[in-house]
Amino acid sequence: QEYNLSLAHWVPATHPLQVLGMEPWMQSITEESGGRITFTVYPAQQLGAAADHYDMARDGIADIAFINPGYQPGRFPILAAAELPFLFANATGAVRGLTEWYQQGGYDDMEMGDVYFCMALTHDPGTMHGKEPILVPEDVRGRTVRPANATEARFVNLLGGASVQVPAPAMREVLSNGTADITQSPWQSLYIFGADTLVTHHLDMPFYASINGFVMNRGMIDGMPEDLRTIMTNHCSPEAAETMSTGWAGAEAAGRASIAADPAHTMHTPNAEQVALWQAAAEPLTAEWLALMASQGRDGEAMLQGLRDALARYDGLYGQ
Amino acid sequence: MTTPDLIALVGFLALFGMMALRVPIGIAMGLVGVFGFAAIRGINPALNLLATSPIRVITDFNLTLVSFFILMGIFATNSGISKELFKAGNAWLGPFKGGLGLSTIAACGGFAAICGSSVATAATMTKIALPEMRRYGYREDAATGVIAAGGTLGILIPPSVVMVVYAYITETDVGKLFIAGIVPGLLAIAMYMAALLIGHRKSLPPGTPFSLREAMRSLAGIWAVVLLFVMVIGSIYWGVATPTEASAIGATLTMVVGIVRGRLNFRQIVDSLTEALRTSVSVYTVLIGAMLFGYFLAITQSPQKLTAWLVALDFGPMGTLALILLVFIIAGCILDSMAMIILMVPIVYPVIVHLGFDPIWFGIIIVMTAELGLITPPVGINVYVINMIAKEVKLPVIFRGVLPFIAADVLRLGILVAFPAIVLWLPRTM
Amino acid sequence: MLAGLLLGLCTILIVVSAIGRYALTTPVPDSFDVSRLLIGACIMWGFASVGYRGGHITVDLFVEMMPERARRWVEFLAWAVLLLFVVLLAWKMFGRVDSAMRSNESTFDLRLPVWPLMALIWAGTAISIFTVTVRLFLLASGKATPEFEREAAQKLD
Ligand code: NA
Ligand code: NA
Repeated sequence: QEYNLSLAHWVPATHPLQVLGMEPWMQSITEESGGRITFTVYPAQQLGAAADHYDMARDGIADIAFINPGYQPGRFPILAAAELPFLFANATGAVRGLTEWYQQGGYDDMEMGDVYFCMALTHDPGTMHGKEPILVPEDVRGRTVRPANATEARFVNLLGGASVQVPAPAMREVLSNGTADITQSPWQSLYIFGADTLVTHHLDMPFYASINGFVMNRGMIDGMPEDLRTIMTNHCSPEAAETMSTGWAGAEAAGRASIAADPAHTMHTPNAEQVALWQAAAEPLTAEWLALMASQGRDGEAMLQGLRDALARYDGLYGQ
Repeated sequence: MTTPDLIALVGFLALFGMMALRVPIGIAMGLVGVFGFAAIRGINPALNLLATSPIRVITDFNLTLVSFFILMGIFATNSGISKELFKAGNAWLGPFKGGLGLSTIAACGGFAAICGSSVATAATMTKIALPEMRRYGYREDAATGVIAAGGTLGILIPPSVVMVVYAYITETDVGKLFIAGIVPGLLAIAMYMAALLIGHRKSLPPGTPFSLREAMRSLAGIWAVVLLFVMVIGSIYWGVATPTEASAIGATLTMVVGIVRGRLNFRQIVDSLTEALRTSVSVYTVLIGAMLFGYFLAITQSPQKLTAWLVALDFGPMGTLALILLVFIIAGCILDSMAMIILMVPIVYPVIVHLGFDPIWFGIIIVMTAELGLITPPVGINVYVINMIAKEVKLPVIFRGVLPFIAADVLRLGILVAFPAIVLWLPRTM
Repeated sequence: MLAGLLLGLCTILIVVSAIGRYALTTPVPDSFDVSRLLIGACIMWGFASVGYRGGHITVDLFVEMMPERARRWVEFLAWAVLLLFVVLLAWKMFGRVDSAMRSNESTFDLRLPVWPLMALIWAGTAISIFTVTVRLFLLASGKATPEFEREAAQKLD
């Protein structure tokens, strides 16, 4: 039997994740299966809204879907641990550790049991970019910030700033009209979304990551003959996650080099003391997450330690 | 022909069949979308489109401004703002030959600056301007034609509900699209005035004497329109508020102005809210259908195939554009203009992008084809609306009256295709 | 009417949140999520109203060329198709609300559960089944006239 699998996502077809990540991944599967598994890609929300992609894979609207669990706050509380600030040192090693932790801990079955969880992904860590220097938490007080995700929005509020929640493409607009003074973004995305001329001061530390992933329709994967299913599951591994994320991470990181080389921009690198200030400021977020886990009868401390260990195993943990 | 192509073809036939039998357009699109999707991916996934997609459309924050701009227009209509506009227009333009007609066009333009709907603009102007023009001996065709055409300014001059929908479908910046409509809107006013003076020159009565005092006094009456336009469109242009906030503020201010002037009571406010909601529902229904139909088209890969086919025809960008516009103008003769845009823009937009045209510019061009559709026979909604309010004026008379304005529209379309800078200059200063 | 008031409430909410954002630089928490879900509820309750009174965007050209009796049949058929859509929608949308409740989907700022507002939206859909059915009965028994001539203001372009 031959399979033509539909892969749905919501970034442009020209995005480095499709060009450098998904396309080689699909090609590898097609080759290993001797052409029995092929793919049709539906980019840019062609089959549904970005936030619906999990349900689309669950319901069989698409066979494989690219998801951002953070678009539906509360729905995937365990994976939300990865949204806590100052965890990820990079994308590549970190997604390998994250995928391993999530799959081997069986957390994917606990909160994503109605799909087949393939891999977790993220971009190269993003940070704060402002019109004024940002070095310590106090620099955010009284400022308006465009946060990257819901966890970051809470962090901004904790720091005494106000958040303006708009998607990345609207980032330039709110910065240019003064609605926001600071934006959170990976480096290259500043250029992609035209914000590079508006924010000239950059906090140079891996500050946050937004979590993404690929999930698959259960019926599709279970219905495959053994040999094909093995090919698919082999491509849904911590190693596969690292391979998938490498090209995208490189593209975002190249943006940091461009900013650093540009005399119009200033990088502010915090020292160990200043880094500690940021981490202390983020403590309540961790506490909130631990409380949430406790309320569900889970040992959050152990889970979070497990995540840190997994990240450290692949040099993906920040501050190690 | 592959199986998906065949299914797509059957889907289109089913869609046109249901539409002809007066099934609401959105419902027809939605059902064809779901069952077409089922034919390719199975019934359960297809039915599950209904679980996620409609609720996503109606709870989309970027669409909330549809309701607010509709509400703003209805508040403006029910609080009789068009009366002052017409008075002011007449105080200044009245002395010229055909002055009342010129005033009607100017007043339509002014009303369009606070109302996002062409039909509402035409309807309110019929009540205000038609009796006056009759009193001064205008022929029926000229009097109704000028209102039908002037009414179409409602969707070209911002705010515009049609532009909001275009921006939503194509993910372009609605603020930029609004600003891009201003200069073409002013051009349209000038060209409609010329069309009136040239096309109806034989039947236009002479003007009335000019009074400077009255002209100055009339300006005091239009403060509300200026205030609302500056607050809403100005705050979008200067980036003070997002379009959604601007629309909500605009609706609220229009209501407040109506209350302050004693033109809106509680009963009328509630009626306006209900009316705005029903109109919004009709738009959302088509949007829901369009999303479902769009998923069906995506799974058959029809838009990509159409793009490849059109590009392979090798008419060149201008030739292909001309072909697309021709299809839009013909569709506009029969279809409701909102439905036309929702149905056809998703299909041709990839082609337009592929050919390197500017999405904002194309948005304005499409709004102008929609304007044309409002006054072209056999189905010209603005003409129907005037006929509904003034039943004694027969449809063919009105259609005859709009002919010079159709010519002006086609000419303007040509000018903006030839000189895109007229459209794009102002939004680029944002 | 009820849904109309709901729309008024949404307008006020967005205006207040805009003022909050600019004048006080403190955003009203969850105004984004709550207002969009409330608008959704307005639309679905309004959908029920339109299901009874009519007012959808349609192509009237061909029907107007038909004789009176045929028109009545076509109108009945069109509304039956609408009923089919509404029944399917209510059924599947219930699953969506149920999924939101089970999976604790919540708002961005205050992490309030979203399912109650989704249930409000669903209720509008469920009532639509009733209103569309009532209109079908009225059409069948000849008590409702088909909407050949529509109120001008209800048409929008
Ligand atoms: Na307008
Ligand atoms: Na027409």
